[in-house]
Amino acid sequence: MTAIHVEEVRKRYGDFAAVNGISFEVAEGEIFALLGRNGAGKTTVIELLAGFQQPDGGVCRVLGLDPARDRAAVRRRTGIMLQDAGFFPDLTVAQTVDIWRDFTVAPRPREEALELAGLLPKAGTRVRQLSGGEKRRLDLALALLGRPEVLFLDEPTTGMDPEARRNTWEVIRDLAGQGTTVLLTTHYLDEAQRLATSMAIMDGGEIIASGGMAETLAARSGRVAFRLPPGTAPDDLPLPVTLEGETAVCRAADPDLAAQTLLSWAAERGLRLAGLEVRTATLEDLFLDLSRSAR
Amino acid sequence: MSYAATYRLGTRLFWQDRAMLLASVVTPVGLSVGLPVLMRHVTADGVAGATQLSHGMTSILLSLTAFMNVAVALTTRRDQLVLKRLRATVLTDGQILSGQIASTATQTVVVTALCAVAVRLLADVPVPANPLVYAGAVVVGAVVMATLGVAYTVVIPRAELAAATTMPIFLVSGIASGAMGPIREVLPAWVGSVLDLLPTSAVVHALRTGEVALPALNLAVWAVIGVVAIRLWFRWEPRRS
Repeated sequence: MTAIHVEEVRKRYGDFAAVNGISFEVAEGEIFALLGRNGAGKTTVIELLAGFQQPDGGVCRVLGLDPARDRAAVRRRTGIMLQDAGFFPDLTVAQTVDIWRDFTVAPRPREEALELAGLLPKAGTRVRQLSGGEKRRLDLALALLGRPEVLFLDEPTTGMDPEARRNTWEVIRDLAGQGTTVLLTTHYLDEAQRLATSMAIMDGGEIIASGGMAETLAARSGRVAFRLPPGTAPDDLPLPVTLEGETAVCRAADPDLAAQTLLSWAAERGLRLAGLEVRTATLEDLFLDLSRSAR
Repeated sequence: MSYAATYRLGTRLFWQDRAMLLASVVTPVGLSVGLPVLMRHVTADGVAGATQLSHGMTSILLSLTAFMNVAVALTTRRDQLVLKRLRATVLTDGQILSGQIASTATQTVVVTALCAVAVRLLADVPVPANPLVYAGAVVVGAVVMATLGVAYTVVIPRAELAAATTMPIFLVSGIASGAMGPIREVLPAWVGSVLDLLPTSAVVHALRTGEVALPALNLAVWAVIGVVAIRLWFRWEPRRS
């Protein structure tokens, strides 16, 4: 079953094409990551899917419903964590959750929501005294109140400390395991890589790459980097390398094998490969490559 | 359910904001009770003067407790991005705003009723000849002024300026109803005619005369203006510039 369907969607603000004819689908229970630099159009996509904005063209469907036209129906079955939305600063965390429970059909109990977001110890704290990361967790608690079938998370872990990030990932994974569909945007590529099963990379309002996370990464080459030993030229090496300053970089489908080849070449000549670094492909490589070529 | 929830939220926040209560409850109540009581005891024709002034003071209550309060509250929540978050719930835009309007109007009616009781007891202002018209005018006036307060947020650039931006409305309403003293009498006649078109003037006119038709028409026109302005221009988020 398709939970989110986006087809040839366009949205302009004046002369600026925020979203320029993008299409993608998210299956039920899937975690889908929307990646891109600031201004790539990620938040606009979330705002279109959440029904805050109406597309200028194309089709948006969430659980088969048009979010702009059937906003109330979509809201009942979705949860949203917006990138920038405020709280009443003088209410406590518990009071905030209580008020939002009032606006939610069949809400989770307050304690359960706070527990999920790891905010139970802060229940009595006023919102204005929370740190940035704690506010993000309160945001998450509110988004989860209605046990949503689809969850939109716009930069969910920005400002969280490493432990809170890990807990949040855990919560998101659990929810997906229970069948919740998650669409998230993030700057943290490791986050996308750990969480998402599929992804799309946006740039300038367009999707410049998309697909399953594992397949996309498998298709990319890994990287072996080391400082070129004194007195050797790149041409002397057994494998082709490019120079990045003093660092020689060798791209290879199997970076472990390439590293072995290079190391035995060096050993035969009594050379050292200082600063050796072996990495399989990461989303970061892919992202940087793509944005470089898109520019 | 959702409508009641926004109503409850509006009411809770109304009474929780101490600084705002000073401007939107304490000040207008002080004026609305204090001045008629003063008038009653220092002038020869005390009761008539106090009654006249007490009715006029309703314009102050409407423009501060209803109009200013809702305009400041919504501009603040707009700038704090709370309105945006409210829209992320199952609430419709209409429920968010009408719940707020109903809540503000209720507080205004309660405060106005308390003032009416106070001037009855302290300044011998007589019980209204037609209590139904009196109550109707206050209730409808409060709803219309709260609606116009919501519409007025359109011209308020940011929250810090909200209270100051509503001051002219308060002053003009007060002058129009005579609550600020006999300023009207020194103004040209046409200014007086224009001031009579204000919604607060219509309410005060109904209180003083018991007339229904004209004030009702006036308030209906203002209600339409308010609702149309909200539909066309209401901003849920601060302007990004």
